[in-house]
Amino acid sequence: MRLSWREEGDRTALVVDASGDDGVAAEGDWAVLPDALVTAPAGAQSTVEPAAPRQTVAWPSMAGQWSREGDGLRFDPRFPFLAGVTYAVLCDGRRVAALTRPARPLRATTRVVAIEPDVPQVPLNLLRVSVQFSAPMRDDCALRHVHVTDAATGARRDGVFLDMTPQLWDASRTRLTLLLDPGRIKRGLVPHQESGYPLEEGRTCVVTIDAAWPDAQGQPLGEGAARSYVVGPAVRARVRPDWWVLDLPAAGTRDPLVVRFERPLDRVLVDGSLRALADHPGGESEPIPGAGEAQPDGRAWRFVPAQPWPGAPCRLRVRTRLEDLAGNAVSRVFDRDLTRREDDPVDAPWLDLPFAPRGDVG
Amino acid sequence: MSTSVNTASGATLSGMTVGTPTLASVGAITFGLGRVLFVADNQSASIVAIDVGAGAPSAPPASFDVTDLDARLAAFLGCTREQVFIRDLAVHPTTGQVYLSVMRGSGAEALPALLTVGADGAVAEVNLTGVPFARMELADAPVQGDERVEGRVVQGSREGSPYVVKADFSLQVAREPLRTVTITDLAFVDGILLVAGASNQEFSSTLRRIPFPFTGRAEAHALEIFHVSHAKWETASPIRTFVPYDGNASILASYTCTPVVHFSVEDVAAGDKITGRTVAELGGGNTPLDMVAFTRGADEYLLVSNVRHPLMKLKKSDIRQQSPLTEPHEPTGVPRENLPQEGVSKMANLGPDRVLMLQMDAHEHYHLHAYMTDTL
Repeated sequence: MRLSWREEGDRTALVVDASGDDGVAAEGDWAVLPDALVTAPAGAQSTVEPAAPRQTVAWPSMAGQWSREGDGLRFDPRFPFLAGVTYAVLCDGRRVAALTRPARPLRATTRVVAIEPDVPQVPLNLLRVSVQFSAPMRDDCALRHVHVTDAATGARRDGVFLDMTPQLWDASRTRLTLLLDPGRIKRGLVPHQESGYPLEEGRTCVVTIDAAWPDAQGQPLGEGAARSYVVGPAVRARVRPDWWVLDLPAAGTRDPLVVRFERPLDRVLVDGSLRALADHPGGESEPIPGAGEAQPDGRAWRFVPAQPWPGAPCRLRVRTRLEDLAGNAVSRVFDRDLTRREDDPVDAPWLDLPFAPRGDVG
Repeated sequence: MSTSVNTASGATLSGMTVGTPTLASVGAITFGLGRVLFVADNQSASIVAIDVGAGAPSAPPASFDVTDLDARLAAFLGCTREQVFIRDLAVHPTTGQVYLSVMRGSGAEALPALLTVGADGAVAEVNLTGVPFARMELADAPVQGDERVEGRVVQGSREGSPYVVKADFSLQVAREPLRTVTITDLAFVDGILLVAGASNQEFSSTLRRIPFPFTGRAEAHALEIFHVSHAKWETASPIRTFVPYDGNASILASYTCTPVVHFSVEDVAAGDKITGRTVAELGGGNTPLDMVAFTRGADEYLLVSNVRHPLMKLKKSDIRQQSPLTEPHEPTGVPRENLPQEGVSKMANLGPDRVLMLQMDAHEHYHLHAYMTDTL
């Protein structure tokens, strides 16, 4: 009895050539199973004769359709056969043949593009680290491949990142956001009392990505990556747009509006949280079309309008969910001390900073 | 509720269309209305409601002990045991049929599967062809009081799509592809689907309330559930898992940073910002995995499964009496009893008197066992 793969476009069937085995195709109860389950079942009640494996554990058969093909049979699986897996064909519960799907050759093409935040120093209560990859990654094994070590001693710091399933990936599976364990960051919680902050102030830590991390194709990264951060003091205060500095463009030009923040902010949130609006005499305002982009270090936002700036007053609309590197937002402190009135939250979903393009040009 | 059941012809619930829902992934699942399976699809940041039928009540099996569940699933799905990822389980409220959401493989070849498993270990796929279903997208769903234009205003029409601001004015807007919502738990309470999730951007404790039938994005109301630790610090934090109890009057939620918090469903209906009462802290290095409630005699109990801690049992009357925690010392809060069931992750009620538990053994093999509540 010979087995072969029948490739048809992106589908693969398993063909059983039974010529020479008279009548075998017509009779019997045929099934396909991953061979590992047939030859080495782990169930306590299983009994397997090594010489002539017979499946006595009632594993369900692999989902799919059997049909006749010539003198033999053909099996079209409901879930495609997987690379590198050996499949056994069973007749009346007896393993009669097996065939292995070719494994993919290893070819490392994916790399780490960036480890963020893109700053030399982070606060002790840093909340997130993001990793940008050049291609989609396997999305369920991050904590095995990301580590934090002390730069001076090389000692690994354990329990830095929150172990969560599912992990926080973007839709393309190229950007991973890791949360530093918030229970260790928040004052007053038991994990903080027991283990302290995930990082240590005054030390330099290194975030390391190892090269074994498989991408979505199962290929390891071409090489690992690492980034060092000096750990500074904790930051626990609301983000203060009223302290920002605006480099004003001239009316009638397409010069950029540059907004400089009082501290580094979460780069990705900056892009989704700032808008330039033009005021209209009627009291309404509408978005100014254009392109805004945060500086990689999250210290500024640069906005270029699609049309020249109007001579009229404008405003910068800031969504109050905008956060800094420690999760402090415009609206609230990450873990608010209820006795500090200055930390009281801001309820509005946004706030506006009025500005006027300079009138000395155009 | 405007939901109507047309039992005469195909029993299609309002708000659903008949077709074949596509799922990019499967995660948390739960039942509602006695027949609708809600499935979180995190890859596409959406929730799919599938009418699997009301079914007929059936006599519960004498026992439900499916050993080597992962091997059975691997056989059915044609993969190795290590390539089976069981994401959640739910029990059909009428038929008692056990449903599983499973991912087969990982990376680009990962495939979602919605399966049923019988007390005899038989595995079958849930039919998704020609079924009544509805889909709710979460990624860009605006929340109440949020007037942002999600995305980036761009020039020309090559990128993005038109966003109509008012009748005579529209902008070309490119959606921000970076923001995703990862759904961590679901529950259906009084016609509302409650959805807990975490975003890869802002760190908030958004609990979404989505009326069913799904009527549109604007119907998704977000609630910020704050917790106060030790009467001093208030934080928003993503909710990991939660369970309605007390006749759906209360919710017990656990946060990513470990406190177990009680809040009342009445508050959920009334306001946008809710402060819960922290009733227990489970300690460091631990992540709560799932919660389930059951009634025994005159009292109600809640079970909390954990990554590092044993399965814990809390009593409703203790939660009610627990004053907010003020001192950060373990053990804090509600008295809890550790139960002997090991490696428990997902749980579900199997009828009124049994709890079904997915358990991992020392070999990292998975088994499904039902326990009588009077033994818990």
